This record gives sequence, C-alpha cells and structure tokens, in this order.
Amino acid sequence: MTDLHIVVCMKVVPKTEEVRVNPETRRLIRAGARSEINPPDMNALEMALGLKDRHGGRVSILSMGPPTFEPYLRVGLAMGADHVYLLSDPQFGGADTLATTYTLARGIQRMDGADLILCGEESSDGATGQVPPGLAEWLDLPQLTLVTDVTIDAVARRVCGRREIRGGYELLAAPMPAVVSARTACNEPRFMDYRIKRRAFEEGQVTVWRAEDLAADETMIGARGSPTIVSGLDEARVRERRREFLRGTPEEIAQDLLARLGLLD
Amino acid sequence: METAEPRTLDDGLWDRLSELTEGAADLCYQCGVCTAICPWGLVREEPLPVRTLVRHAQLGLSDAQDALWLCTACAQCEVTCPRQVPVVTVIRALRQLRWERRQTLKGLPSVLWSLYWNNNPWSQPPSRRGNWAQGLELPTYDAEKHEVLLYVGCTCSYDRRAQSIAGALVKVLRAADVRFGVLGEGEPCCGEPALSLGHLPYFEEIAQKTAEVFRERGVRRLVAISPHAFDVFQNHYPALDEGFRPSHYVQYLADLVRTGRLGFDRSLDLALCCGGGGGRAWIETPAGERFSDLRIREAAATGASVIATACPLCVACLEDSLRAQPLAGMQVLDVAEIAARALGETA
Amino acid sequence: MVASRYTVEEQRQAIWVYLEQTSGELERISLELLSKGRQLADRAGWPLAGLICGHQVRPLAQQALAHGADEVWLADHLLLADFAVETFAQATFAALMQGRPSVFLVGGTPNGRDLAGRLAVRLRTGLNADCTNLRLDPRTGILTSEITGFGGGVLALLEMPNHRPQMATVRPGVFAPADADPGRTGRVIELPLDLSPEILRTGRVKRVVGRGVDLTQASVLVCGGRGVAGDFDMLERLARLLGGEVGATRPPADEGHVERERQVGQTGVVCRPKLAFACGISGASHFVVGIQEADTVVAINTDPEAPIFEFSDYCIVGDASRVVPALVRALQERRGTTHD
Ligand SMILES: Cc1cc2nc3c(=O)[nH]c(=O)nc-3n(C[C@H](O)[C@H](O)[C@H](O)COP(=O)(O)OP(=O)(O)OC[C@H]3O[C@@H](n4cnc5c(N)ncnc54)[C@H](O)[C@@H]3O)c2cc1C
Ligand SMILES: Cc1cc2nc3c(=O)[nH]c(=O)nc-3n(C[C@H](O)[C@H](O)[C@H](O)COP(=O)(O)OP(=O)(O)OC[C@H]3O[C@@H](n4cnc5c(N)ncnc54)[C@H](O)[C@@H]3O)c2cc1C
Repeated sequence: MTDLHIVVCMKVVPKTEEVRVNPETRRLIRAGARSEINPPDMNALEMALGLKDRHGGRVSILSMGPPTFEPYLRVGLAMGADHVYLLSDPQFGGADTLATTYTLARGIQRMDGADLILCGEESSDGATGQVPPGLAEWLDLPQLTLVTDVTIDAVARRVCGRREIRGGYELLAAPMPAVVSARTACNEPRFMDYRIKRRAFEEGQVTVWRAEDLAADETMIGARGSPTIVSGLDEARVRERRREFLRGTPEEIAQDLLARLGLLD
Repeated sequence: METAEPRTLDDGLWDRLSELTEGAADLCYQCGVCTAICPWGLVREEPLPVRTLVRHAQLGLSDAQDALWLCTACAQCEVTCPRQVPVVTVIRALRQLRWERRQTLKGLPSVLWSLYWNNNPWSQPPSRRGNWAQGLELPTYDAEKHEVLLYVGCTCSYDRRAQSIAGALVKVLRAADVRFGVLGEGEPCCGEPALSLGHLPYFEEIAQKTAEVFRERGVRRLVAISPHAFDVFQNHYPALDEGFRPSHYVQYLADLVRTGRLGFDRSLDLALCCGGGGGRAWIETPAGERFSDLRIREAAATGASVIATACPLCVACLEDSLRAQPLAGMQVLDVAEIAARALGETA
Repeated sequence: MVASRYTVEEQRQAIWVYLEQTSGELERISLELLSKGRQLADRAGWPLAGLICGHQVRPLAQQALAHGADEVWLADHLLLADFAVETFAQATFAALMQGRPSVFLVGGTPNGRDLAGRLAVRLRTGLNADCTNLRLDPRTGILTSEITGFGGGVLALLEMPNHRPQMATVRPGVFAPADADPGRTGRVIELPLDLSPEILRTGRVKRVVGRGVDLTQASVLVCGGRGVAGDFDMLERLARLLGGEVGATRPPADEGHVERERQVGQTGVVCRPKLAFACGISGASHFVVGIQEADTVVAINTDPEAPIFEFSDYCIVGDASRVVPALVRALQERRGTTHD
C-alpha cells in the first residue's frame, strides 16, 4: 500500500505564557505573542511520519488559519511531510468547532480523501478536543481518540491504536479510513532534516484553498456557520484565602504549619 | 577486542565522513593513547573506545553505538595524541551522521526543538528570558552608549543558581564603572548545544542568525558569562565584523584589573606604597603622614574585606594603620596565609 | 446560518443530562451533573431528565431519580453493553430527537467528549467545552456557559441563542454531587431502539486495567510543579504520610515525571480536597481552577511574588526541596512519638 495517504491536522497557537491579559479591560492581548505548532499536533505528525517510514506513501498537512500559519507549517515539511494544504479565507474567521470541522472535512474531500486522518488530542488555546470527533462525524468515519501509539495493517486496511484509560490501557481497532487523535507527548517528534529544510522553506509544496476552492456552503463556515457566540468576558471569581506567610527555618516552618493544620495532635 | 562480526563498508558514508571531518581522522595510526587517557575509564570497566570510533570514521563504518554520546569534549585525548587528531571534531561529525539517520538518543531532538521554539535548551518560555534581571534596571545594549555587551546566555538567564552569577557580575561591572548593556528578552541563544550535540547545519543556522543580531546592534566588545558561549563566538562563528571581540568574563575582569579600572583607584604602576619601602621601615613617619592610612581607606572604598599583600613589611604597616582606625570587617592577610586557609590549614 | 436538527421553536423546555455508567454503576460525574442540573431546573421551573445508555441498566434509574432527576430515559440494548461511539451516538441522537430538550449536558470524560463531539455535529448545534459554571436565564431559556481562557483568570461566557440543544461538557469535580433522596420518584421512559451491529466499526481488541488513581476523591492533594524539578518521590512521601495523593501541573506531566491522570487543573482533574499543597507551582489560573475548591491551600515557592500565594491560605517562601523534607521529618517524628 505505497499509496497510503495520511493527513495530519495542525493548528498554530500562541505560546500559552505569552498571551497576556489587559488588567483594565480583562481582554486577551494576543498581539506580539510568539506562536508555535500546537504541541500534540507535532506528536500526530511524528506518528504519521513513523507510519510513512514503515509503509511508504505520503503525508499531507492540513490546517485552517490565516496566511501567517504558513511558515510554521513548513516546519512539518522539513520534518518529512510531503505537502501542506492551508485553508485560508477571511470568511473562515470566527469559527467554532462546528464550522471548523465542516471546513476541515471539505478540505479532506477536496484532496480526494485519506486513509488516515491524524489530529492532536486538543489545542492549547481552545482546548475543546472537539475537532477530532466532529471531523469523524462529518466524514462518517470511525474515530480512535487519545491514542499513544498507532499501527496499521496495510493488507486488511485496519488501524489499531493504544489508548490509556484509568489505571491501564486498551487497544482499539477500526477499518481505514479513520480519524485518530494523538495524546500530547506520546512520542518525540523528530527534528527537522537539514538536507531538505532549505527546500521546505522555499516556495512550493503549499497549496492555499479559499472558500470557493472547497465549494463550501457559505452558511456553514466561519462566524456565520458557528452556533456559538462569545457573549462576554468576565473576571474570574477568586475565593478569598488567608494568605498568611510563615517564616523561619524549614524545620520551624514545618512545625508551625502542621500545628496550624491541626496535624500535630 | 573488536567484534569479529562481518560489517559492510558503506562508500557513501565514507565520503560523507571524510567530507565532514575534512580528512581529520586519516592521521590516526591507532596507537590507542586516546582510549587509555579517556576519563570514562575512571568510572567504567569499559572505557570510551575513542580509538575504535576514530577507526570506524576512517573506514566509513557506522554503528549506532551509544558510546558516541558519552564524549564530554574534554579533549584530553587531543592533548595526548601523538598525531594531533582533532578527536572532538571527528566525534561531532559521527554524531552528525546519527542525526541524519535519526539514531540519536531519546530526548535530544527535544533539546533542539526547544532551541527552535524557545530560543533556549531548557524548555523555558522565551518571554521570561529577561526576568532574572528584574529590579536591576539593566539598559538594553546601545553601541553608541555602551562599551560592552554583556551576553548572559540561556543558563544564567533561567537557572536559579546561575542567575546569581549574572547578578554578581553585574555588581562587579558596575563597581568598575563599565558602560554595558544587555539584550534582555531579545538575546539570541549562542547555539552551543546544537554544535556539541553534533547538529552542525542547525548550529550554523543559529550562528548566522545570532551573528546577524550582533552585527545589526553594532556589537564590538562582547563579554560572555559562559565559557561555552565564548568558545563558539570565538572559534566557531562565521567571521564577524573586524572589531568584534568576544571575551570570557574572567578575561575581561583581568583586563579591568590590568587597566586599573577594577580594584584600587591607584594600582599597578601607580599603586600607592604602604610607606615601608626604601628603608623607611626603620625611619619614623609622623602620624597623619603615613601612606598605609590612605591605602587602607582606598581598600575600604573598593568594598573589599581583605587586603592581600605578599610582603611582611606591608603587613606590618597596613595592620598598624588598621589598628589606629579600625574599618569594620577589614583584615590584612598575606597571600601565603590565604593559600593556606584555602587548604583548610589551621595556623 | 445553518439550522440545528430541531429548532428553538421545536424544543421542549427541559434540561437533560447524560448519565455515564460503567459496568452497571453511575459514574460520579453523572451525580455531579444531576446536582447542577437540578439547581438550573429549579430556577427555571423546568423538568430535569437523565439519559442512560447501556445494557440492563434499569436499576440505575432509581438512583438517578434519587439524585434529582424528574424522569429517566433508558436506552437499553445489547449493543450498548460496552461503550462504542457509533452505537452510543446513534442511541443518544434518537433520544434527543424524541425528547428535544433545550439543554443537554455531558461529562467531560474521554468517552463523554468523544460522544458529545460527534453528537453536536450530527445535531448541527454548538458545544461548549469544559464549562466551569452554567447559568440558565429563566426568561429567555438561554444557557450561559462560563469557560476559563488562558492563564490570567479570564472567564469567557459562551451562548448559542439559535441552536438546540444547548450542549455543554463539564469536567469531573467541577460541581459537587448532592445527597440522594431515596423517597424521590419519577417517570422512567424506555426508548425503543433500532440498532444494528453493522454500524459498529470500532472494536476493542484488548483491555488492561490496574488500580486507577482518582484525584477527585482525594482528601489531601500534594501537587508539584516545574519548581520541584521532577522530584516527585519527595512529594509521594509527604502524600503517603497524610493519606493523600500526588498531583501535578501540566509541565511535569508533559515531561513524563508523573502520569497524565495526575494533572490537576483546567485540562486535568478538578479536585475538591480538604487540604492541597502547591509546591514549586507559579499559580497559573489553569492550575488554580483545579484546587480552588479546596478547603485549605498551602503554597511553597521560592519566589515571594509568585501568584500562587494569592490563592493560598499558608504561604511559604522557600525551596520546596528543603521545606517538603522538613515536613516529612516532622510528621515521621510525630508519628514515632504517638506510636510509642
Ligand atoms: C479559550 C477558547 C475557548 C473556546 N471554547 C469553545 C467552545 O467551547 N466551543 C466551540 O465550539 N469553540 C470554542 N472555541 C473556538 C475553537 O477554539 C475553534 O473552533 C477552533 O477552530 C477549533 O477548536 P479547538 O482549538 O478547541 O481544537 P481541538 O478540538 O482542541 O483540537 C484538536 C485537534 O484538532 C486539530 N485542529 C484544531 N483546529 C484546527 C485547525 N484550525 N486547523 C487544523 N487542525 C485543527 C488539531 O490536530 C488539534 O490538535 C474556543 C476558543 C478559545 C480561544
Ligand atoms: C489550554 C491550556 C490548558 C492547561 N491546562 C492546565 C492544567 O490542567 N493544569 C496545569 O497545571 N496547567 C495547565 N496549563 C498550563 C498553565 O497555563 C501553566 O503553564 C502551568 O500550570 C505552569 O506550571 P508550573 O506552575 O508548574 O510552572 P511555572 O509556571 O514554570 O512555575 C514554576 C514555579 O516554581 C517556582 N520554583 C522554582 N524553583 C523552586 C524551588 N526549588 N522551590 C519552590 N518553588 C520553586 C518558581 O518560582 C515558579 O513560580 C494549561 C495551559 C493551557 C493553554
């Protein structure tokens, strides 16, 4: 099955600690924040490249986002992915997970499908984890979520994933094509291959599709296609704590604390 | 004993290796002094087989030996090698091949990714690079105003222990009235981890970018806290501007002492005599005219707590002055006494 | 705009909660959702229904009624004996299309998230993830979900005014379960189901389960962050002496120093222990939500300015690697003397 086609869904996210909050307006200040590839999406890509090493075929990266995503996605090319499809159109903006999954599904249909669609378990900004199951639903495919390792049987066209569950693990199998989401840190993403890096960062290998390229229903994309609205931002309620500082040597502090906690009787 | 298993020679690999090492391994005639001297022999039954590694490099043999990653680049083997083989360079080249074949150790790709996303090898947020200097009010380097760029480096920026080294150096530079600035959050990583882990192309990319930052900022004199950073700037960076001069801070402090900027205002050739030379140890000097009174006050002004000297007459004069005008915590010691103390000697 | 499968006009004024069960027992999250659902329903004057999918799960209906449900919908079928997203999505979808509730709440567990993510698309409605609080306006019938965004304590409020059901997931531990009232009664509705094995595509090949950790049940929680530099053995000793569990922030879980299931916070576990320690933890709001319901919080941090101190009752400015062993020694000594 050398024509194995794996699609990896990747999102570019602001580095968490860089998103600051304006103390006056309590609004997010994203401007100036450095970005990175959503960490588990790197694990998903490593999974895909591992399968390609073993079974051949090709790996495509799929992302919905602004053109500023492009240089980040090229990192994936330098790791060994074959092509990037960037779904980029101002009309896609403001999407909730319903509109996001619809749009990503259109992208996969536009590339004539895939044998396997890999996602990260969740993004580090929205963090809903709703994209993998939503995507599977639009494409009417089985889903294996939160897996730490995946193998495929190329002949039987089956995919098997290991999923950690409370106090253990389970092995799940499904026919391909299927949607799989990868657990954060389940593997160590390979570093970029510098023999191909220069080419990966030059032109080519990136296809940008706009709404009309996807023949997308305009009522289903972006803010228009999103049932969810953000009706407000509030201050987090913080419960009042005592905030008493204990002083002394570690031994004195230990005695003082345990006494206050009533643990010395 | 080398294994008797048959191995296949890989011509392509041989070419790659001799290209990467520029024939450096060819000089080796397999005497084995390198393996014998390698400090891994102190802690392991099996020492690091340096000789075998070099032999394999000559033959174009490559097997994924973990031994390759043991090398600490201490270069004792290079010092003792009768043929001057640059062993560390050869090992780096072998490591580079491992990167190309994705046969590195677990965890190493993550170090490079951290350099890539975080601009440091410690997986720390890039936005917090300047936090160590909170409250110190360090100015951002400006070539017009500053004589020196203080290059703090990743470890001194993030590691709590190492932060105090940076803080101490700032104090010393200020005491010497050095006009210096830092790059704060904008300070680029020197790339040394990529080099020593053997990812040369990535190191070269970092070096290009970092050198470009220095060029744009008009950096001439750079003082690095870490000798590793100093080493790459000095020995592995592309040629920077004519006037670019990196120093390790110890060298720089020595310069400051030499030029009289650090330590006594009056020092070296112009150092103030204790007053006991020229036979004046036997001639009375009236109170109020004794040089040693001035000298201990000069010493106190530097913030020092010990006046070191290497002359019994100085000790006599200085201690005498100190008795007349005690300065809190100040002590006169001879260098020999200091050395003995360092040995834990109880006099 | 795309219309949901049933509209605001077609909805029934009712709150439904999905009652997750394992091997014939309701999960604790189900009781937590019933408790919150009850509050919302009482305010709005709406009925609260629980939906149970499984095989031979009728005995659970009474428990659900006792915990606050006015009615229980049962999807009982041999093919629902084990969780599989295909069959469970089909059964829940059928139930929702029949009951058409205005609000549908699901536990944010791995299976709950799998199910809700698929269902929301099938229903063409919105899904608010990992809500930290829920409000229902009795006048408009609109559900407002509070979610925390990024560090820094921002709460975003999400609504879906024009789509039904209004779906939301809630992490275990966010709401407290209410006491059972065995006297409560209500209606039990058996859902006629037409499931065929063909729709099942995902299969379980193997399952290995050992003793699991459940931080939501721990009465003492000793949490470590990046500042403990991977020394979780030290925390384990303290936890053992106090009869508690070890928890962690995300960085140590990411770096593999502790199992992922010990991650406390927004995307980890929300706990309500009596006593929580935060060692070497800066106090990002993502973490703080995980312990803010603790009765008492003790923080140990080298940085006197660390935000965690604002959320703590007892604040110790110091090195965790010195303070924690001192606590361990003090407790051991104490134990030694009481045992003599
Ligand atoms: C703080 C915050 C809270 C939010 N809460 C909600 C909410 O409750 N409900 C809601 O509907 N929307 C919510 N959103 C909007 C939501 O983030 C977007 O719809 C987003 O496009 C996809 O969801 P996610 O980031 O949660 O992805 P997740 O479902 O968490 O991501 C899982 C995986 O899907 C893939 N993926 C996700 N996004 C993309 C993409 N753009 N391109 C390619 N692959 C992708 C990646 O592989 C990723 O690892 C929220 C956004 C923010 C910032
Ligand atoms: C979508 C999303 C979800 C997230 N979910 C979670 C979650 O569920 N749980 C979670 O925890 N985080 C979560 N995070 C991450 C969160 O934002 C913070 O980055 C994280 O909580 C910080 O962990 P920390 O406090 O251990 O590390 P840091 O912020 O790096 O703090 C380390 C602290 O240790 C102190 N310290 C250093 N040395 C010592 C010493 N020797 N002794 C004592 N103190 C010392 C330092 O002063 C510092 O305050 C999430 C982030 C995102 C974006």
